[in-house]
Amino acid sequence: MWIAAAALCANGEHRLHALGVTTKGWVVGAALLPSGVFVKKSGGAWVNEGYRHPLLTAMAWLPGKPDTLFLAAGDGVIRIDAQGRWRVLTDETVTELQDISAGAGGLLAFGHTTGFQVSEDGGATWREISAGLPRRYGKAVRLDRLRKGRVVIGTENGFYVSDNLGGSWRLAGAAGFQAMRVEQSPHDASLWLAVTQRGGIFRSTDGGVTFEATARDPAAGRNLYDIAFDPTDARRIAVCGWGPGVLVSEDGGVTWEARNRGLPRPDVWSIAFDPDKPGRLYASVHEDALYVSEDAGRTWRADGLPGSIILKMAFVPAGGAK
Amino acid sequence: MKRLAGLTLAAVIASQSLLAQDYEQRRRRLIEKMARVEDGKLHYHSIAARLWLREGIPGAEKKLRELLQGDVSGDMFWMFPMTAIAYLDRGQLSDSARALMRRSWKTYYPFRGDTENHWLLYYTSMYLMAQMWPEMGGEGWFNGKSSKENLEEARRWIESWVKLTTTKGQGEYDCTHYIGVYLLPLSYLAAWAEDPRMKKQASMMIEWIAADFAVESLDGIYVGSHARTDDRQVVEKWRGVSADFAWLLFGQGKETPPFGGYSLYYALADGPEPPAIIRAIATDRSRPYTHLEKKRTRNRWRFNDELHGQVYKTTYMTKDYAVSSDQGGVLQPVQQHSWDVTWRVDDPEGVHNTLFSLHPYSGMVELEEYFTFSPDFGTEAVWRSKTTYDSPDKLLGGSPYEKIVQSEDAVIALYDIPPGTRFPHINGFFSKDLQEFVEDASGWIFCRGGRTWIAYRPLAPHVWKPIEGGGRRLFSPYLKNGTVVQAAGMDEFPNLDAFRKAVLALPLKFSLEPAPRVEFRTLRGRMIEFAYGQTPRIDGRPLDYAGWPAFGGPFLKGKAGEPRLVMTHGGVRRVLDFGTLTVSESRAARTK
Repeated sequence: MWIAAAALCANGEHRLHALGVTTKGWVVGAALLPSGVFVKKSGGAWVNEGYRHPLLTAMAWLPGKPDTLFLAAGDGVIRIDAQGRWRVLTDETVTELQDISAGAGGLLAFGHTTGFQVSEDGGATWREISAGLPRRYGKAVRLDRLRKGRVVIGTENGFYVSDNLGGSWRLAGAAGFQAMRVEQSPHDASLWLAVTQRGGIFRSTDGGVTFEATARDPAAGRNLYDIAFDPTDARRIAVCGWGPGVLVSEDGGVTWEARNRGLPRPDVWSIAFDPDKPGRLYASVHEDALYVSEDAGRTWRADGLPGSIILKMAFVPAGGAK
Repeated sequence: MKRLAGLTLAAVIASQSLLAQDYEQRRRRLIEKMARVEDGKLHYHSIAARLWLREGIPGAEKKLRELLQGDVSGDMFWMFPMTAIAYLDRGQLSDSARALMRRSWKTYYPFRGDTENHWLLYYTSMYLMAQMWPEMGGEGWFNGKSSKENLEEARRWIESWVKLTTTKGQGEYDCTHYIGVYLLPLSYLAAWAEDPRMKKQASMMIEWIAADFAVESLDGIYVGSHARTDDRQVVEKWRGVSADFAWLLFGQGKETPPFGGYSLYYALADGPEPPAIIRAIATDRSRPYTHLEKKRTRNRWRFNDELHGQVYKTTYMTKDYAVSSDQGGVLQPVQQHSWDVTWRVDDPEGVHNTLFSLHPYSGMVELEEYFTFSPDFGTEAVWRSKTTYDSPDKLLGGSPYEKIVQSEDAVIALYDIPPGTRFPHINGFFSKDLQEFVEDASGWIFCRGGRTWIAYRPLAPHVWKPIEGGGRRLFSPYLKNGTVVQAAGMDEFPNLDAFRKAVLALPLKFSLEPAPRVEFRTLRGRMIEFAYGQTPRIDGRPLDYAGWPAFGGPFLKGKAGEPRLVMTHGGVRRVLDFGTLTVSESRAARTK
């Protein structure tokens, strides 16, 4: 994910984007309340920008080009350009995208129900990179931000790594567990973190080549949904899930502490550190609201989007997509 | 005997010609009923009906404006009425109303959905609207693609679905509700597609689905197993969209409210009356028959090497009742119905004319297999709209712990439920409309539904629990369990006691440990040997799943993997060949 990496080189102003819905119990065909992309404006108000959309799961932008966003959506990759225009970049062959990533060399990659695809031309064309995988459910994907060609993916059976953009794959870890999310540190390109369904937290210190289960994992047996590296503190990382709520590590992912004081329930979909405010952390609590902490999760208060399910948050450099 | 058969056929043909005269009347009656409402009660469907009739247009246009200027929603369920309105307009709406419609495809973003019925509605609508506005660029569409791109993408998806369905079977097969969701877009394409190939393909698919329904229609009731039905129609078999179409297409059953708007839109699109041979297949129950079908599961995103699993269906049909089953297991998420006995009644409204059992399975493994739900919220996300999904009392859904075999009108369901499974019991549905109910000392239960004798042998102890809405639920909390069922017609046995004696004379051996196992000689003389988890044997031969036909019976034939359906009835042979996109019909030469 380029959120944090972009933050390190931006001019210190980012806007928080949140992807989700405010309709409870929505099913296909039902009326949809505000949903899709929510942007927190400078005054603190949330604005639902663009079309209402019921299923957006992740976002990315190409390095140095935050004015164009790429969304992983239930019906394909959606590009939102600087003028706020939406365009679906994929066709009838992909559905229910789970994740999207931008990486070195201007690459884009996404995971969906039957595999992973990559684009080398800004999303104009896509090619399948799932050959050789024993199972193809594409839950998580991250392109290495520095090393072109390296991609780490999360499947229903752990994480795999490729150094030739899917030409060949090797199991990297968490075998037997449904992958949920994988992220690369914006500070140290060799440090990666991965979370799973019931398998807990996995950590890589060799650039995503191998992942090892975290010792004394407080989330083992529970489902974790998101990972956030703090752009302002190289050793601080947060993960979140249902049951554990928010877990924060201050030592690069070696040990973890639950930080849920002030959260109404420990069921959290997504978390994001504010690159402009050290210690500020956001968490989306299931069908309750977004919450914000000014002390890296030690205390929390509600901060809008009541009743929402926000599946993913990201700080986009200001001046980015409308 | 030959003379009798000839007379029967003559009667069927005569009744068909009467039905043929009635189709246009039924169609018009349906449209008029929908169109002739007060202006204040108009909605998309009634606007479309008025456009078809060319009456009440000012009120229809006013309402259309209100709807489009309001908060539009509905995804593909908005797209298909809009498409009908656009094609039924035919110069009746004002230019400004037409411009408003056109703009709505830019200002509203309909979601594409997550299953084949959604996608067929979505892509059919995209195809036809892109065809209507061929020069529109991406700036005119919600998805940013040009008309040319949208039309081509839609064409590709529709053609791939036709190929998949006609070679591997329908994914949402034999659905009591979704049959309408498939027939509707196909009728649109048959009527409004300009490409002759698309038009032909759609009209052939209408026949394919209508024939698939006809052969399992018991006086207008879609007998199951079904990929999907619903909590109400699983017991009141008439109450659903399939009954709308049975009435409209075959003149069967009774006129319905209708339950969904699908039959109306089919009528509005000048959806064709099925050819005489399909109507004859729907109505000719002069002789009992066994019919086999091979279908496929819905897309399985996880936990399987193949995207689609196989579904093996067996249906035994008589004039009075039908017995139908699949092989058991979770073949569809949420709304699967695996087996039952359904009997005919003169007026099906309010009647629960069926009997079955199931294990009320509920599990995230099933949901994650077929959906992309998050594990912690998936079950709740389902029961918010499918309210009984996570209920121990439910009467709907497949289970990985249920295995089924059927031979003619005998069916055996075995259960081997692992300890710790949520809802560790069996539910049997015993209708309020059963008569002559007897719990025999032998362990068999005997009863009558309509003109059908039914014998039901639970293999483990049970108690009875009331069902809201009437009837009783057989509740059996034993993990190793099973059911043996034998049906017969009233014209075979003069009374329940005669049927009882005949069934009690049938050899039945069973054991439940270490896994359920049954040997049963049926009323038709077949020996069924069935052990849970093993291939069933009938008359000593294992069931040939590998050779299971796409369609196999006296009326419909088709090989799995081949895009060809052969219909036969009364000397007429009609072939749908999707490989060559041709339809041929021939009549056997008369023999003296």
